[in-house]
Amino acid sequence: MDLKDLKSIIDLMRKNSVSELELEKEGFKIRLKRGAEEGQAVVHHEYRPVMGQPMMYSQPPITAGATGTAPEPVRVAEEGTEIKSPMIGTLYRSASPDAPPFVEIGQQVDPETVVCIIEAMKVMNEIKAEVRGVIAEIVADNSKPVEYGQVLFRIKPN
Amino acid sequence: MTLDTQIIAALRSNTAGVSSSDLCNKLGITRAAIWARIESLRNQGYEIIASPHIGYRLVRSPDKLNADDLHAQIPSKQIIGRDLCVLEQTTSTNDEADRFARQGAREGLAVFAESQTRGRGRLGRIWSSPPRKGVWASILLRPPFTPAETTRITVMSAVSVARAIQLQTGLKPEIKWPNDILLKGRKTAGILTEMQAESDHVNYVILGIGLDVNQTQADFPAEVKPVATSLKIESGRAFSRTDIALALLRELDSDYRRLCAGKFSAIAEEWEGLCTTLGKEITVTVGNQQHRGRAESLDPSGALLLRTVFGRLERIIGGDVSIQKNR
Repeated sequence: MDLKDLKSIIDLMRKNSVSELELEKEGFKIRLKRGAEEGQAVVHHEYRPVMGQPMMYSQPPITAGATGTAPEPVRVAEEGTEIKSPMIGTLYRSASPDAPPFVEIGQQVDPETVVCIIEAMKVMNEIKAEVRGVIAEIVADNSKPVEYGQVLFRIKPN
Repeated sequence: MTLDTQIIAALRSNTAGVSSSDLCNKLGITRAAIWARIESLRNQGYEIIASPHIGYRLVRSPDKLNADDLHAQIPSKQIIGRDLCVLEQTTSTNDEADRFARQGAREGLAVFAESQTRGRGRLGRIWSSPPRKGVWASILLRPPFTPAETTRITVMSAVSVARAIQLQTGLKPEIKWPNDILLKGRKTAGILTEMQAESDHVNYVILGIGLDVNQTQADFPAEVKPVATSLKIESGRAFSRTDIALALLRELDSDYRRLCAGKFSAIAEEWEGLCTTLGKEITVTVGNQQHRGRAESLDPSGALLLRTVFGRLERIIGGDVSIQKNR
């Protein structure tokens, strides 16, 4: 795979609004994730020697619930949908102090979009939007304590 | 069990040697097939002597984590480590474990890597993970807890890692709140727990452990040199990383069972006994805020109770702890 292939994949992702894509071949793996801004792609890739392929024992079964059930419909935000903190902790709006925030006001989010991290005693909890919509309000501050049930973000329908 | 796992298990349980015909009977394959597997193990660095009288005998194992070898030595009743994989190199074992978790892997999965290119600590900090110097591992758990109760895993993992080190090396590890493992005040193991949860329910937890085993001073990057150490530096000898990895899995398994059986307070007590942060004057930095005071005690959830200079008691659940020197 060369740069040209990569570029055409990214273009395809953009055209079809695919936000994340993972591709694996022998000794090669690539994960593409589109960033916050339209058309911006973050590329994670790694090379893994074929010799070092993971050796799995007793292939992990798919957990109950993941099989046989129809995919759940995507939850869509209503006016004023709130994202609340599931625990007491410290809120971080980015993965590291010099990284850009996970989300900004006006950004579109999907149920799987990470909006912040809450840390309590070195347990890092990635908080996801859990609905589809647009960030309307950022209520909690970076690096500040949050309480259980405290509103962190408000989301509106797009 | 793979053939290699069975052969290694037979060699390890018969240190005086195991005959080719015994192996044939046990595994149900031909002598030639046994010989081919033995050759393959030799190519991986296992020193195996063959003699007409005693058969095959394992005299030395390579300094290499091997999934078959680990699997051969893990008791079948153990949950943690029942599924495992060893990668030559990866970005971070937490990333790999997370990927398996999304695919539905069951709890207890252990992912090891011989080196990590982006081993990480809190808030994107780098964890130096040079090839074959330490144990870099991530364990997948699916605990029956609420998100808030998951902090118990922090307490548990610190106790397990400290005990594993003590049993394998005879060194006396200390815990710096909440779960840094220190030897004579320097960090030898770090634990980062990442959780995927919904508001009231934990999907899974990835317990990432970096344990510095055989590094020398020169192996550490300049910025961590003054604060980092390894089992080798502290004891003056090298350790089998396979043995250390097995001890980690075993102690984690035993403590995780205790935790799930509702015995958190016993684990917390053990933790308190190892936690040397208590009684010290400390500074806790959370973002751009600093809390200064005396680390007085732990509350029942494991949070740190800090007596500030104004006499107020503050409950600390996050941030960086630094211990004041010369007090």
